[in-house]
Amino acid sequence: MESLMGLLSGFAVAMTWQNLLYCLIGVTVGQLVGVLPGIGPTTATALLIPLTYGMQPVSAIIMLAGIYYGGMYGGTITSVLINTPGEAASVITCLDGHEMAKQGRAGVALGVAALGSFVGGIASILGLVLIGPPLADFALRFGPTEMFSLMLFGLTMVVGLMGASIVRGLVAMFIGLSLSIIGMDPISGVLRYTFNQPFLINGLDLVTIAMGLFGLSEIFLGMENLAAVGKPEKLTSLLPNRDELKSTTGAVLRGTGLGFLIGLIPGTNSAIPALLSYSMEKKLSKTPGKFGKGAIEGVAGPETANNSYCGGAMIPLLTLGIPSSPTIAILLGAFIMHGLTPGPILFTQNPTFVWGVIASMFVGNAMLLIMNLPLAGLWAKIALVPAKLLYPIVLIISIIGAYTVSNDLWDVGVMLVFGVIGYIMKKIDIPMAPIVLTYVLGTMMEKALLQSVKMNNGSLVGLIESPISLTMIILAAVVLSGSVYAEIKHKKSAIAGEID
Amino acid sequence: MKKLSVLSAVMSACAVFAAAPAAAQGAFPQREVTIVVPFNPGGASDMTARIIAKGMEAELGKPVVVVNKAGGSGGVGMSQVARSAPDGYTLSYIPVELVMHKALKLSDLEPSSFEFIGQTTMVPSAVTVPADAPFNTINDLIKYAKANPGKVRVGNSGAGSIWHIAASALEGNQKVTFNHIPFEGAAPAVTALMGKHIEAVTVNAGEVKAGVDAGKLKILAIMTKERDPAFPKVPTLIESGINLEFVGWGAFGAPKGTPKAVLDVLGAALKKAASSDEFKQFITSRGMVVKYRNPEECKEFVNNQYVFFNDLLSKMELGK
Repeated sequence: MESLMGLLSGFAVAMTWQNLLYCLIGVTVGQLVGVLPGIGPTTATALLIPLTYGMQPVSAIIMLAGIYYGGMYGGTITSVLINTPGEAASVITCLDGHEMAKQGRAGVALGVAALGSFVGGIASILGLVLIGPPLADFALRFGPTEMFSLMLFGLTMVVGLMGASIVRGLVAMFIGLSLSIIGMDPISGVLRYTFNQPFLINGLDLVTIAMGLFGLSEIFLGMENLAAVGKPEKLTSLLPNRDELKSTTGAVLRGTGLGFLIGLIPGTNSAIPALLSYSMEKKLSKTPGKFGKGAIEGVAGPETANNSYCGGAMIPLLTLGIPSSPTIAILLGAFIMHGLTPGPILFTQNPTFVWGVIASMFVGNAMLLIMNLPLAGLWAKIALVPAKLLYPIVLIISIIGAYTVSNDLWDVGVMLVFGVIGYIMKKIDIPMAPIVLTYVLGTMMEKALLQSVKMNNGSLVGLIESPISLTMIILAAVVLSGSVYAEIKHKKSAIAGEID
Repeated sequence: MKKLSVLSAVMSACAVFAAAPAAAQGAFPQREVTIVVPFNPGGASDMTARIIAKGMEAELGKPVVVVNKAGGSGGVGMSQVARSAPDGYTLSYIPVELVMHKALKLSDLEPSSFEFIGQTTMVPSAVTVPADAPFNTINDLIKYAKANPGKVRVGNSGAGSIWHIAASALEGNQKVTFNHIPFEGAAPAVTALMGKHIEAVTVNAGEVKAGVDAGKLKILAIMTKERDPAFPKVPTLIESGINLEFVGWGAFGAPKGTPKAVLDVLGAALKKAASSDEFKQFITSRGMVVKYRNPEECKEFVNNQYVFFNDLLSKMELGK
C-alpha cells in the first residue's frame, strides 16, 4: 500500500510539463539510437550524461532512463525491415521479423513488437513497485557459480534452434563458441586468437557480427538476382490474425516473466532474455517449423522479454544500488553525479525522486506505444521499396553503424567479413540462431565457470553445493534428455511409418 | 539589399579570420583539437576527459572534441594518438594502464611514446568488505589472510587490470596469499561482493560508494598517501602501519615530438581546466581526487610509475 501511495505522488512529479518533456526527449532519443545500428542505448546514455549536469536530478534521470528503455523499442525496426539489428537485444528478431516483412507483414511484426514491448515494460515496472525489493535480495545470490549453471540451462535451449539437421546445428554452435573465445582470457589475461591486433583483445562485438551475418549476407544473396528478391505485393493490417492471437498472447506473457526474472540477475544483458525467449517459444510451439519463416511468436516473445528485462534490471539498481548491466552501471554513475546514491536509503530520504522516476517509466512506455503503433504502419512501407534502391541505403547505414561501434574502420571490416561468412552459411544451409546464442552465452559461461572454479580453489564442487546452481543443472539435464527422447521417438515413428 | 549586407558581413568576417592567424604568426590552435579517450563512453575516464575538454575549449578558443576509441585495454586509442602527427591537434587521455602495457605484452606503448601535458586526477583504491564481515580494520583482514592462505577471495576489475595489481601489491607487501577473482570491470566485482560471493574488493572508491551509503559495504582502508576527501573517516594503509601507496591516475598527452610552444599552450589550458569548480565537484562526486601535476612533474611521476609497475608485474604471473 505504501508503495502505491508513493507511486501516486511519483505521478505528480512525472506529470509536470518539464518532466514530461524530458521523458519525451529521453524515449525519442532512445528510440532513435535503437534504430541506428552501432550506437546502442549504453553509448547514448553515456554520451548524454554530461548534458544533464545543470538539470534537476529527477529530470535528468527521467531522461536517461527513457533512453534506456526507449532503445528497446527502436531496435526492432531495423531488424524487421532490413534484417540489421539496431542493438543487441533485437538481434534475434531478425530471424522471423524480417521474414514477416518479406511476406508483407512488417506492420504486424512491428505492431506486435510495440504492443509486446509495452506490456513487458509496464508489467515489469509494476513488478518493480510491488515485489521488487525482496526479489532483488534474492537475485544477489546469483554469483559466478549460479550464473554458469543458468547459462548452461540456457544453452540446452539451443537444441531447439538447430533446425532440420543436427550436424549443421552443431557446426553453427561450434562457430559461435569459437568466436566467443577470441580475446583476452578472463582469468589469466592470456591473449587468444588476437594475432597481435589490439582490436581483438576485447573480443568481437555482437552487433557488428549480427549486422554482417544477418543484414549484409541478405544483401549479398539478394544481389545475385535482384529481380527475384522477394518483395511483398501489399501490406497487411497491423494486427495478428485470429489464429495467431492466442499464441502471440502466450508469447508476450512468457516473455514478460522471463525478461523480468533475468533482469533481476546481476551480470546479464538485454540480449539474453531475447535469445532465451526465442528459444523457449520455438520449443513450446506446436509448429516449430514455422520459426525462421515468419513466426509471429518469434517476434512477440523476444521483443517483450527485452523490455521486461529493462524494468527488472532497474530493481537491483533502485533497491540495492547494484549496477546489474552495462547501461545500468552508467545510470548509477549518473545518479551519483547528481548527488544521489541508489539504494534502500534513497526511498526514505528522497521518495519523490525515486517514485517520480518510476512513475515516469509508466508515462514513457505509454509515449513509446503511442509513437510506435502509427509509425509501425509507416515504417512497414519500407518493405515495399525495390531492392535496387533499398540495398545501397542499407549498406550505407550498416557501414556507418559499424563504424560508430568504436569509431574505427576495423569494425566495418569485421562486419563485411561476417557478411561473407553469413552468405556462405546461407548457401550451405547452416542455421544462424545457434551462432548468436552460443556466442552470447559462451562468453559469459566461460568467464563464470572460470570464476567459480577459482573461487572454490580449483574445484567444480561449487556447482553442486549451491542449491540454485544444482537446480539449474538438473533442469538442464531434464530439458536435454527430454529433447533427445523426443527426437528418438520421432525418428522411430518416422521409420515405423516408412515400414508401414 | 539585405542579401548584400549579409554577404558583406560574411566577407568582412572572413577577412578578420584570415587576418588574425597572420597577425599571431600561426598561433596554436588554428582549428579544433581532438582528445582521444581509449575507453568506452560513460566511465570515469571518459567523463574526466569530457569535462576537461570543455574547460580547455574555453581557454583555447577552438572546439575540443572528445572521441572514444576503446579496445585493447586502452591500447587501440593510445597507439593511434602516439602514431598521429605531433602537431598538438590530436591528444590522448592517458590512464595508468599506459605504464602496464609493455609488461603485460598488450602493446609497445611506454611513457616515452608521449609528451605529457599534465596530470589531472588520482583514482584511489579502497579495500572494501561486506558491512557485516568480521573485519573492522585492514589489519584484521591481513591477520585473517595470514592465518588462512588463499581463503580471502579478492575481486578485481579484470586480469592484469589496475585493481588486480592493487591487490597483488598489498599481497606482496604483507606476504599473504589472496585468491584473485577477475570480473569484467569494477561494477560486477562490487555486485559479487554485495552478494557475498567474495570476501573483498580492491577497486576504486567511487565504485563502492553506493554500496557503502546503502549500508551493505564498508571500506577498511584507502590505498593512497592521503585520506580520500569523500571518505574522511577511512584510514590510509600507511596510517594502518602498512607501508604501501597505490593509486590509479589520469593524465593527458600528445604524440612524441610535439613542439614545445604548442605543449605550453595546451599545458596552460589544461591547468586552467583542471582547476575549475565544475571539474573538482565532478571528480569528488565520483570518488576520485583532483591532483594536478604540470608537464615536468607529470613526466617524472609517470616514469616512476613505469618502474614501479614493471617491477610489480614482473613478480606476478600474468599474460603468460
